[in-house]
Amino acid sequence: MITQSDLGDIQGNIAKAYGRFGFPVARHILYQVNSPEVGRQFVAAITPLVTTSIPWPDNSQTPPVATNVAFTYEGLRHLDVPEDTLHGFPDEFAMGMKARRDIVGDTGPNHFSRWDPVWNAEGDREAQRVHILVSINGKTEEVLEKQYQKIQQILSQAIAKFPEIPAPGVKQLDGHRGAGRDDLPYQPAGALVGRWNKEHFGYNDGISDTYFEGCGEDPKLVIGGGKPTGKDPRTLEGWEPLKAGEFIFGHADESCAYPEAPGPPLFSRNGTFLVYRKLHQNVASFNSYLESEGARFPGGKEALAAKFAGRWRNGAPLALFPTEESANRFVNEIAALKQKLQNNSATSSEKSRLEELNLQLVAFDYVDDLDGAKCPFGAHTRRGNPRSALMFGQKGAFGPAFDTPAALTNRRRMLRRGLPYGLVEEHPSDEGDHGVIILLLNADLSRQFEFVQQQWFNFGNDFRLANDQDPILGNHGINKECRGKGRMVIEGDKDKPPYFCSNMPTLVETRGGDYFFVPSMTCLRMIGLGIIDPT
Amino acid sequence: MANKSGNAYALTLLCPILQGCPKLCPEGMDDQTYSALIRYELQKLRVGEESPMARVPNTYLSRLFVLDDVPYQGKPAHLEHLKSNYLVFSSNFYGELEDYLTGMWNAINQEIKAILQYCAGFSSVNNAETFIRYVKACQVTTTFFFNGSTDEPLAEQLKSLYLKQELSKFVFDNQGKGPVELQAAFQEFVRRTQPTDLSSPTWKAGSYHLESVVYDRRVEKTMEATSK
Repeated sequence: MITQSDLGDIQGNIAKAYGRFGFPVARHILYQVNSPEVGRQFVAAITPLVTTSIPWPDNSQTPPVATNVAFTYEGLRHLDVPEDTLHGFPDEFAMGMKARRDIVGDTGPNHFSRWDPVWNAEGDREAQRVHILVSINGKTEEVLEKQYQKIQQILSQAIAKFPEIPAPGVKQLDGHRGAGRDDLPYQPAGALVGRWNKEHFGYNDGISDTYFEGCGEDPKLVIGGGKPTGKDPRTLEGWEPLKAGEFIFGHADESCAYPEAPGPPLFSRNGTFLVYRKLHQNVASFNSYLESEGARFPGGKEALAAKFAGRWRNGAPLALFPTEESANRFVNEIAALKQKLQNNSATSSEKSRLEELNLQLVAFDYVDDLDGAKCPFGAHTRRGNPRSALMFGQKGAFGPAFDTPAALTNRRRMLRRGLPYGLVEEHPSDEGDHGVIILLLNADLSRQFEFVQQQWFNFGNDFRLANDQDPILGNHGINKECRGKGRMVIEGDKDKPPYFCSNMPTLVETRGGDYFFVPSMTCLRMIGLGIIDPT
Repeated sequence: MANKSGNAYALTLLCPILQGCPKLCPEGMDDQTYSALIRYELQKLRVGEESPMARVPNTYLSRLFVLDDVPYQGKPAHLEHLKSNYLVFSSNFYGELEDYLTGMWNAINQEIKAILQYCAGFSSVNNAETFIRYVKACQVTTTFFFNGSTDEPLAEQLKSLYLKQELSKFVFDNQGKGPVELQAAFQEFVRRTQPTDLSSPTWKAGSYHLESVVYDRRVEKTMEATSK
């Protein structure tokens, strides 16, 4: 069980999603460690800046900037973490994301040869060069720059402390792509100006967040964020928090066991794995496919966009708001009430109405949409988190051992963080540098991230969709005529035939990333002191 | 009496650690619990001859760690939790408890305070007498005590270990020598090792392997025993 004390040991943005506290800008900085001594000094000196998961009571009490640190397998090795401890890590972490490309679908346009130089600097069969990730999230660009300067200063001081060691003992890596260049010293990310909760395809993003035991968040967020119980999904009885061990080492998981993690226990407890992915968005392809197919699709282009994602672009879930008119009414009412709340003119009944409406963004389990008439089986959000849908309405579908409607979903959940990067010009193109930096957190890279990526986004069998892929994230490939090979079935209803989308182009391409270990505060201090002893 | 085996005493303490975080955390330790602060103090301690416990008279062996909780063994075991986090201190030493604790307080009370300040009830401790009272309140009976060495005073044990090591070297160095030469060498050995002087030369307290440090008052410095 996670206690308040554990939250002070767990790094921030794990149990406490920064997105909900308004950090619109971020920088991700990567380092290569050449000297373990300088590396440990750098880690020791940066640890006091690291933000924990202790809850902030409200938005007025958040700090202006949050800092977090994570390591690749090679990073830990270069910091002299003992071999025995390293061997306790699962293979997929030791191999790194590139080496797992066939599983995660990083082939074709996603191949690492097309990644940002910083993620692609290794020679053939050379180990990862990216060793440390430092992420800073800020309220403004100014505080972000200040913190960035501070971290650079910490690095220079760490290097200066060991004059006898050939410089640089730790090197900040450049080679992130940005507008028109490929040598940025860090990866910038930030909410889109004037459209703060949108991503580049125009969808509201970051709506639903996974809820687990002891996460310290508002208990009401278990609705839609926890695991469905089969009871009314609009109520607290309809949901239970997921076990913390699905996301945090050292705590019991959904199978009532501790997740596999390296020893000694203090090294891994309260840590987790982070998947960092730089995902480029082919905005022109998305727009033109939506225009051409939307002209034919009954309901039009917005309805088609909603069917791709499982949500209307304004955020309303298809499962509860199957028509555009109902979706618009819903979000307009939310917007009006939020405005009143901001002006301090909301009555108490209006406040509770807003709470009720906010829940409707997430309070569904697909049990009343088993034929996919409202939200297609293949829609992005239904694939990523199928809730109770994989029972296909069959009572006792998973036998007596798993008498829970989400038995096939509960062990595939992840915590999702991230921000868009880059700008899309007035006349969008597929070129340029724009997309999403997605950060996924889980305790088991293979069972959670890689499974979802391979089976649910790049395959369709679990949804009875043969080898159809996720319309948005799928690596669709191209046919002889250089047209996309993506397909999607949009299920019909009693009075409506199904609609088949074909020749979908690949809309999202990987441009970098890797697997990271996010240590606890205790572990960060142990790495800094160089006292990890697995014996 | 399970705490004693001959002259050897086994002390086991479970000191409950204050719950939550201090209002004012030490610099760079924001949001850190008392438990995390103690752990960090322990992790920063030097080990071996430089350990503060090496300065505490008559310590055979000691160990300090933070016990956060009992591990969960998975189903069908029950998920159980401790009432608090504990600082566990265990020490095997020569002699009586009160003498030992007085020696400990006199030798390392600064270090004791730095660690135990975050334990419940420690604020009343300010001298050897109150320290003894505090320790007795936190003491649990050591069951199944097995003493891994003799129960002689530490100085005797360190000198014996030193002599044993030096004698074996003597044997290797002087094998095959004639009686006269051997006797002269042995007299030189006795003169050098001073078998009846417990204080010097001897093993330094805190040394825990053979490549350890020998203390010799006459050369007023430490030297690598193996490099000779």
